[in-house]
Parts: sequence; C-alpha cells; structure tokens
Amino acid sequence: MDALWDLLRHVHDAYGVNLVHFYDGFERGRLLRGIWTTVKLAAVCIAFSILIGIVGAWLQTSRQRILKAAVKVYIQFFRNTPPLVQMYFFYFALGPQMPRVVNDFGVPQPMFGSFEWAVLSLSFFAGAFNVEIFRSGVEAVQKATVEAADSLGLSRWQIYRYVVLPLAVRICLPALNNNLVNLAKTTTQAYAIAVPETLFVASQIWSDRINVLEMMVTLLTFYLLLVGVFVWAMTRLERRLRVPGFGQ
Amino acid sequence: MKRLFATLLACMAGAVISAGPALADQMAIIKKKGVLVVGVKTDYPPWGTRDASGAIVGMEPEMAADVAKRLGVKLELLPVVSSNRMQFLQQGQIDLMIATMSDTPERRKVVGIVDPVYYASGVAILANKKANIKSAADLKGKPVCALQGAFYNNDLQSKYTGQDLVAFKGVTEAQQALIDGRCVGFVYDDVVLVWQKAQESKWGDFEVVQLNEWAPVPWGLAVKIEELNGPWGKFMADVTADWLKSGTLLALEKKWVGSNTPWLVDATAKAKK
Amino acid sequence: MTTGSVPAPRLTPRWFATAALLCCAALAAGEAGAQLQAAGSRPGVLATLWKWTPLVLFGPPREFGGFALNIAVSFLAMAIGTLAGLVLGLGLVSTLAPVRRLSWLVTQFFRNSPWLVLLFFVMLLTPFQLRIAGVAIPLPGWLKATVGLSLPIMANVAEIVRGAVNSIPTGQWESAESLAFSRLQTLWRIILPQCVKRMIPPWMNWYAILTMATPLISIVGVNDAMTLTQDALAAEQRSELLIPMYTLLLFFFFVYCYPIARWTIQLERRYAVRN
Repeated sequence: MDALWDLLRHVHDAYGVNLVHFYDGFERGRLLRGIWTTVKLAAVCIAFSILIGIVGAWLQTSRQRILKAAVKVYIQFFRNTPPLVQMYFFYFALGPQMPRVVNDFGVPQPMFGSFEWAVLSLSFFAGAFNVEIFRSGVEAVQKATVEAADSLGLSRWQIYRYVVLPLAVRICLPALNNNLVNLAKTTTQAYAIAVPETLFVASQIWSDRINVLEMMVTLLTFYLLLVGVFVWAMTRLERRLRVPGFGQ
Repeated sequence: MKRLFATLLACMAGAVISAGPALADQMAIIKKKGVLVVGVKTDYPPWGTRDASGAIVGMEPEMAADVAKRLGVKLELLPVVSSNRMQFLQQGQIDLMIATMSDTPERRKVVGIVDPVYYASGVAILANKKANIKSAADLKGKPVCALQGAFYNNDLQSKYTGQDLVAFKGVTEAQQALIDGRCVGFVYDDVVLVWQKAQESKWGDFEVVQLNEWAPVPWGLAVKIEELNGPWGKFMADVTADWLKSGTLLALEKKWVGSNTPWLVDATAKAKK
Repeated sequence: MTTGSVPAPRLTPRWFATAALLCCAALAAGEAGAQLQAAGSRPGVLATLWKWTPLVLFGPPREFGGFALNIAVSFLAMAIGTLAGLVLGLGLVSTLAPVRRLSWLVTQFFRNSPWLVLLFFVMLLTPFQLRIAGVAIPLPGWLKATVGLSLPIMANVAEIVRGAVNSIPTGQWESAESLAFSRLQTLWRIILPQCVKRMIPPWMNWYAILTMATPLISIVGVNDAMTLTQDALAAEQRSELLIPMYTLLLFFFFVYCYPIARWTIQLERRYAVRN
C-alpha cells in the first residue's frame, strides 16, 4: 500500500495531478470516514422511509377521516417543497425547539445532532413518496385475494400484514427502487447542515488542498459506484420477488 | 437536431479545456467593458453585508467602489463565499477579489495576492463560557463550528479537535449552530468575533478567546495570478499603498467597524514613512 | 422521485383554507411572542417578514435573483434538458449499436450522479466565458447552475423518450416499413406524435422535481430565494425569525409546485392507456 501512496505522491510532484486525498494519511482518513457516514446515512434513511411508507399506506386504508387527512397533508407538504429547504427548516428552525441535554463539555445541546436531523428530514421526504408508491401497490392487489383472506377470519391488520403488503411490495418494487436510488443521491444535501458525509469532506479537502478537479472525479466515481451497487442489488431482488403471471 | 447537440457537446468540452490562461492586460479589458466586477462577501458584517433593499454594503464594498471611481468605470459587486472565491477569480467571473481573504503561501500559488496587504486578523474562538476554553489545546475531542474554506480548518482538525469540524457555508449558519449548542465554540477571524460580540446582547453567555496558536495573518485583495505583475496588479498595488498612506482605510474601518485595530494603525504609520 | 403512475390524494380548496389559517395562527402566535420579548423595541415578526418579502421574491434591485430566479432557472434548465434529452433518447433507440451504447453510458452517468455533485462540477470547473469564433459569450453563475441542473434532466428525459418509443407496438414499425416509410420518417411522423401524450405526465413530474432542486444553486453561490432568505436572517440576527422565514420560503415553493402536481395527475388520468 505504501508503495502506491509513494507513487501517487510522485505523480503529484512530477505531473501536478494532486491525489492528496489518497496518499496523505489524514485526508484519506477523513475521506473514508465521510464515505462511511454516507453509507450509514443512506442505509438508515432507506429503512426509515420504507417504514414511513408502510405505515402511511396502512393509515390511508383507515376509516378515520382525520388520520387519512393528516397523511394527505404530510404527503402534499413533503412532495411539493424542496428537500434542501426542508432540511434547513428541520435543523435550524425546529432543531433549537427540542429539549436540551447538557453534554460532556458543559454545553446544553439540543437532543438531535445534524446526522439525526438529516435522517429525519430525508426519511420524511422520501417517505412521502413511499406512501404513495405502497398505496399504488396496495390498490393493485386484487379484491378477490383480500376477500378470500377476510373470509378466513383474518383481522384488518393481519390481512394488510400477511396478504396485501407482501404482494404490494412486489408489485411496486420498481417504483420503490427508483425512489430509494434518489434518496441515496439526495443524502449529499446533508452537506448543507454540516453532516460530515462524502461531499462535505470532499469540499473540505478541495478547499484546503486546492485540488478541485481531482477531488470531483473521485467524488463522482464514488457515487456512481455506490448507486451502481445499489441498483444491481435491487434489480436482483426485483427479479427474485417478481410476482408470477404479471408483465412479460 | 443531432448537429446542434454535437456542437453543444463540443462547446462544453472546449469550455472545460480552455479554462486556462485568459487574455493579457485585464486593466484594458475592464476599461473597455466599462464595468469592474468585484467579488465581495455578503455574510460578513460590517466588512460586507446586505441591507434590506438588497444592496451590498460595508467596508470592502466601499473599497471596491473607490477602485471603480479611480478607473472611471461602473462597479458591479458579485457575492462570493470562502469556498468559491478563488475559483471565481481563476475563472474570471470577477476582476478583483476583496473578500476578507487571509494571505497564505498556498493561496499565493493560486491567485495573485497584491502587496501591500490591506488588513489583518488573527484567529479566535467565540466560545460558550461553560465549555471553559483557554486555548486550542482545550478543543480536543469537542465539536467546533467553523466556516468551510477557512485556512486554519486543516490545522484545527488535524492538530487540535481530532474530529470533523461542524463547518458551514456561511457565518449565519455557523453562529446559529453555536447558539443552538451544536458546538462549544465558533473558530473564526478575531476581528469579526470581537465586533459581533460587541454588537449583540445574545452573546452574553459567550466569550472571545484569542487562539495564539495562529499568528495574525494579513488579508490580501487578489487579482488573477497572471495579472499580478501586469498593469492591473501594479495598479491595485498602488491603490492599496495609497489607501494606507492617505488614511483612507483607517477612516473606513472607523466608519464601519467603529474602532481601529492596532495592525491597521501600525500599517498606516509605516506607509506614511 | 419518479412516481409517475401514482395518483396523489386530492386536496380540496378547503384544505388550502385550513392550511392557510394554521399558518396565520402560527405567525400570529410568533408575533405575539416576539412582541412580548422585544417589549416594543423591535418591529414584529410579520412586519419583518413583509419587509424582506420583495427581496426574497424578486432579488436585489437591478439584479436578477430571488424566487423569480428559481423559476427562471427551472424553465431554462427544463428547456435545455428536454432538447438534449430528446436527442439522447433517440440515441437510446438508435439502430446503430455504438450510438446506442454511447447514449446509454451518458444517460446512466447523469441519471446516477447526485445533482449537487454535478452542480459543483459545472460551477467550479467551467470558465466564466466561452470563446466561439472570437466572440466571448459570458457565462454568469446562474447560467452555469442552469446547465448543471439540466444535465440530470437530460438523462431522465432521454429515459422517458426511450420508454415511450418502446411502448408503441412493434406492429406499427412493421406496417410503416411495408408502406415504404424510412426509419426516420416512421419515427418523426408515426411514432413520436403518439409518444408525446405519454411523455407529458412524467415530463411534468420531472419539472416539479427540478423546481424543487433549484434551491441547491444557493450552495454554489447564486442569489436565489434560499440565499437571500439566509442573507436576510444574517442581517436581522434574530432567532425568533428562523421558523417564520423558512416557512415563508417553503410556502412560496408549495404554492408554485402544488398546482403543477395536481395538473400532472389530471393529465395522467386523461392520457392513461387503457388496458
């Protein structure tokens, strides 16, 4: 490994291609931590947004008008406002309203940090789309199937959990994938509220080391790889879970 | 349609490649187009800020206006932030940068920093009194707010805090984060922190602690690096020298900041000799 | 974000009224609180919001900026993205394998890169002006940001075109061929006219997504509504303004984007291909 770093250092001196974020231990360390933060952020947001989608779609089948209305307002608000402004709103406007805890340094700190707020805002944003995606899946489940489950004496939640949802997820998986890929890409916006994810760290490095082009190329390569791996995994899942008898 | 697209692509490719050196003699170009474009800050009161009408005002915009007056051209102020100001100058989006930029050897390799320099500031932290910060060594393992693109960020993180800084694009966000308790202190230029603390009663629970780990660093106005030794760079060097000699900068500092910093008083005295 | 086939629940005017009422109530509460706090020494929250609204909506005088710039950027980026996307989309269905492969590569690249990274790329690595045949064409920041935003739009429009062309039954190509139409003629006069209807709803969906991505240009230093909101907050230095100011900004976007979303759904229903 050291030989490689030496080679890159030589490349910098001899050809002016500044890959300092690889060969310098400090920069490499923070870049790797940034990548790890991005992966963590994406994974947690994906999990939460799916949960929101499932619960939201379930609430929409409810007979309570208030509940349905609340879900409607939630969806319309998050779908029709910019995710970046939402993030600022959450972090700077709502954040300080949270109860404070005194941290180890004697400073009272709001309960959630920037990572948590990024998770909340991104999950709610993607969740609004997921609710609609799941709902379209639920609606596509054939009435006869639900009636059959009903006649077997299953409760409404049981029907949703064991019959409708498994079918619905399979039907709406392509749309869901699309939204989740978008969510993974939208994690870059956490940059704005100082979550040390990949873009944040990269911009720190290119400001300090003035190697914008090299850093950009590295950054794009990383995101293409990340999204590529995710898309590949999801396409496999899609194929495995395909409902027989639908589509070509 | 296809041809149009091909042309478009070729243009884009060409644009990326031809980003290198531009034409010589910026001075003649500025005079010819009749407009001087200066990059200034809008989030750095009282050196550069917006008023409610949207106009950019402050000490540095006023310096920029003086340059335009001397050239007999119109002035256009373009807002820049720390993380993009040097690129803006390199790409030629601005003719001149007066954007509170500290003078460092690395930066001198990228942009043409004009001598003499016009201002200076040290590094300080606006810290929560409860955190009991006395020097940079006390910052170990603590969340510290900062501004993206500041020259001391790298040192601060690698030598002192040992963890990622809570760095924002603008001063507003960093200050808000400090008030909200997201960090123990906001590391920034001492002159600003002192001024801010004096302005606002909301900083009652905070104190400005000078971080002597970093010596005071001059602020330089900058032109494109190719222009530094050309007519444009020389012109700006003369203008800055005159500002110091005539006491213009002292007067401007008094007007906007309210008091004079020892560095500027010294620099003016030296220039007069 | 492409949920083209998913109908959104209907929000009636009554909902709007309720929402507006709630907003007003929140503002009034903030106003009362602020006045208690400030004890009359500072203008109230509503008055302050009102003072900054023109700046946030239209930008500084004699400068183009604010929410109007967000809208202008969204129009222009959509236009550029659509034109380039049409060409790229036709490349995706080309019979020439190299063209098809190259188009696929370009599409995938721009579809899978984060918008913000593309924006940084274009902002920081392209020059301020183009020289074409000795004529210098200036490229101001907002224009570069527009190009940056149009790149992902281009790739997604290309996908829409490909999807629409592929949704036309193969039989039509064959019939056209038997009537001695060339491939280009078939595409222009038979296939594409049928595609337009199918393309409009997803295309509008992308327009909405683009509009909501425009505040990203604030990060790269363009004077849009987001930047100016932050400048206003910087000048005021009052914490109690944070919620109202950001709410106002969200409200501007909602008022603009919500009707577009409704209209998209209506068009979707009208143009739906019946199975």
